[in-house]
Amino acid sequence: MSFGEDTWEMCLFNVKDGFLEGVVRGYKQGLLSTADYNNLCQCETLEDIKLYLTGTDYGPFLANEPSPMHTTSLVDACTRKLVADWRYLRENAGEPLGRFLDYCTYGHMIDNVVLIVTGTLHERDVQELLEKCNPLGMFDAIASLAVAQNMRDLYRLVLVDTPLAPYFSDNLTSEDLDEMNIEVMRNTLYKAYLDDFAAFVHRVGGTTGEVMGELLSFEADRRALNITLNSIGTELTRDDRRKLYANFGLLYPHGQAELAVAEDFDQIRAAMEKCPPYQAIFSRLGLGETQMLDKILYEEEVRQLINTYEQQFHYGVFYAYMRLREQEIRNIMWIAECVAQDQKSRVQDGIVFTF
Amino acid sequence: MSSQNRYTVTPTVSVLAVMKGRLAGATKGHSLLKKKADALNMRFRQILRKIVETKEEMGKVMKASFFSLAQAKYSSGDFKHTVFDSVDQASVKVRASQDNVAGVKLPKFESVKEGGGAVDSKLGLIGLGSGGKQIQECRKSFMSAIDLLVELASLQTAFLTLDEAIKTTNRRVNALEHVVKPRLENTIAYIKGELDELEREEFFRLKKVQGNKKKHAEAAAAKEAEEAAAAAAQGSGTVANGSGAAGAQQQQQQGDILGVQDADIIF
Repeated sequence: MSFGEDTWEMCLFNVKDGFLEGVVRGYKQGLLSTADYNNLCQCETLEDIKLYLTGTDYGPFLANEPSPMHTTSLVDACTRKLVADWRYLRENAGEPLGRFLDYCTYGHMIDNVVLIVTGTLHERDVQELLEKCNPLGMFDAIASLAVAQNMRDLYRLVLVDTPLAPYFSDNLTSEDLDEMNIEVMRNTLYKAYLDDFAAFVHRVGGTTGEVMGELLSFEADRRALNITLNSIGTELTRDDRRKLYANFGLLYPHGQAELAVAEDFDQIRAAMEKCPPYQAIFSRLGLGETQMLDKILYEEEVRQLINTYEQQFHYGVFYAYMRLREQEIRNIMWIAECVAQDQKSRVQDGIVFTF
Repeated sequence: MSSQNRYTVTPTVSVLAVMKGRLAGATKGHSLLKKKADALNMRFRQILRKIVETKEEMGKVMKASFFSLAQAKYSSGDFKHTVFDSVDQASVKVRASQDNVAGVKLPKFESVKEGGGAVDSKLGLIGLGSGGKQIQECRKSFMSAIDLLVELASLQTAFLTLDEAIKTTNRRVNALEHVVKPRLENTIAYIKGELDELEREEFFRLKKVQGNKKKHAEAAAAKEAEEAAAAAAQGSGTVANGSGAAGAQQQQQQGDILGVQDADIIF
């Protein structure tokens, strides 16, 4: 990166995106702190949690929730807050920030499309399916997904107009659409999405490219690790597994090659530990403790996301805000579940502290 | 003796025999039913103990299952519909069979795992990108919860059926003990009483007849003595003649009386 480009970025970033960066940094201040989490952990009932959250940024969204609280309604209310914030950001974004924000939500869009498609194939009620969709991944034509009776029609009529079209056309043939296991399809699409997103941030370049490159390669590696872990003992072949790894990341290509042939946790561990940043993660993990891996990876992700706020004039903060909010909603869900199920001794296991 | 609590029967020896037979039958039935009730009660208690144990275990397993569901949701978001859509056939089915306890048919349920490979491989890939392990854990713990649930259902149904059967049996035992048997006993006692009464009547009648006979005999003897006295007073010449005639006449009369009496007197 040349000095000139850097200066140019600093001079001109605020012209277009300065306002929204300010807004998103303000939103970030509204995230729950460690003290907040400690207080939430003391709650005895869901009502207490609601009461406490009313005093935070979630207040307006929780105020009208009817009294017998459920974990799901609590999580829904919190998600509405994120969606409202996100919508505000998107409406005020110029280019290329707008495209960047869209890219952030494609992951949810893939989930929604897969949800609707499989639901339609099993003749479920479209309205019910739409309610289940993640609101961040909604697009205008989503309801018409249900119209298509077979996968070929689906692609020709509906998907071709969505941003996801290239992922479908480049990676799946029409036979695949009919026969492929839905999870494999979802992960194939996700891989295509990650590759595309990485290419996009690279095109944007500058600090954005740098910061987002790091975040996305961590995401890619984590997915590779998860896919490997979860496919041990299933019918997924090594070649199929290899096809689901994204084409970048710290593990690409040699680590991925090792992951692809790994048959148990120790082999995965050996493959991952060749990469210095992951060696640190795995060294925190005792032998055989696969359960804790998820949490440690979440913690690592949160650490990286928070680091994005150390730099200015880049888009990474928007992505980081979305992911942090999502993690926070997961935390709240975990606390609420623990409280509702009377398992308060486990409550610390699921919380990833942000600040 | 209460005359109400008995069957209306004609008190005869043959009816007495029938009644005695019925009493013996009732006693036998009573003891058999009592044994059955005891057997049922024993089974009932067994089932009750098992139900309590299973319910306690159920509480624990369910708690663990729902917590693992929370864990799965934590690591992979809401995966409900994904699971819905990848299931086409039931992987656990319940088979009903019958169990026989002392003649009472108890329904029994067994859970049977079906499908196996095809279903497993399809569900095995859920949450491939994130949280697959937790979802599988969740699936496993709910599987064990379902097994318990089926067992509990089997026990509960058996419990209800058994309860009903025990009630019926107890009712029968009590009916035999407190209604049928006393009534039969009363009837037998009544018949015996009546028969005794008849016997006494007969005896009295015989006595009476015998008394009458004696009276007649005495009267006849007195009359004879009178006649003899009168004849002796009339003349001693005709004594031999008269007494000879009178003797013959009397003999004939006595033979007549015996002949008449014979038909009535048994001995």
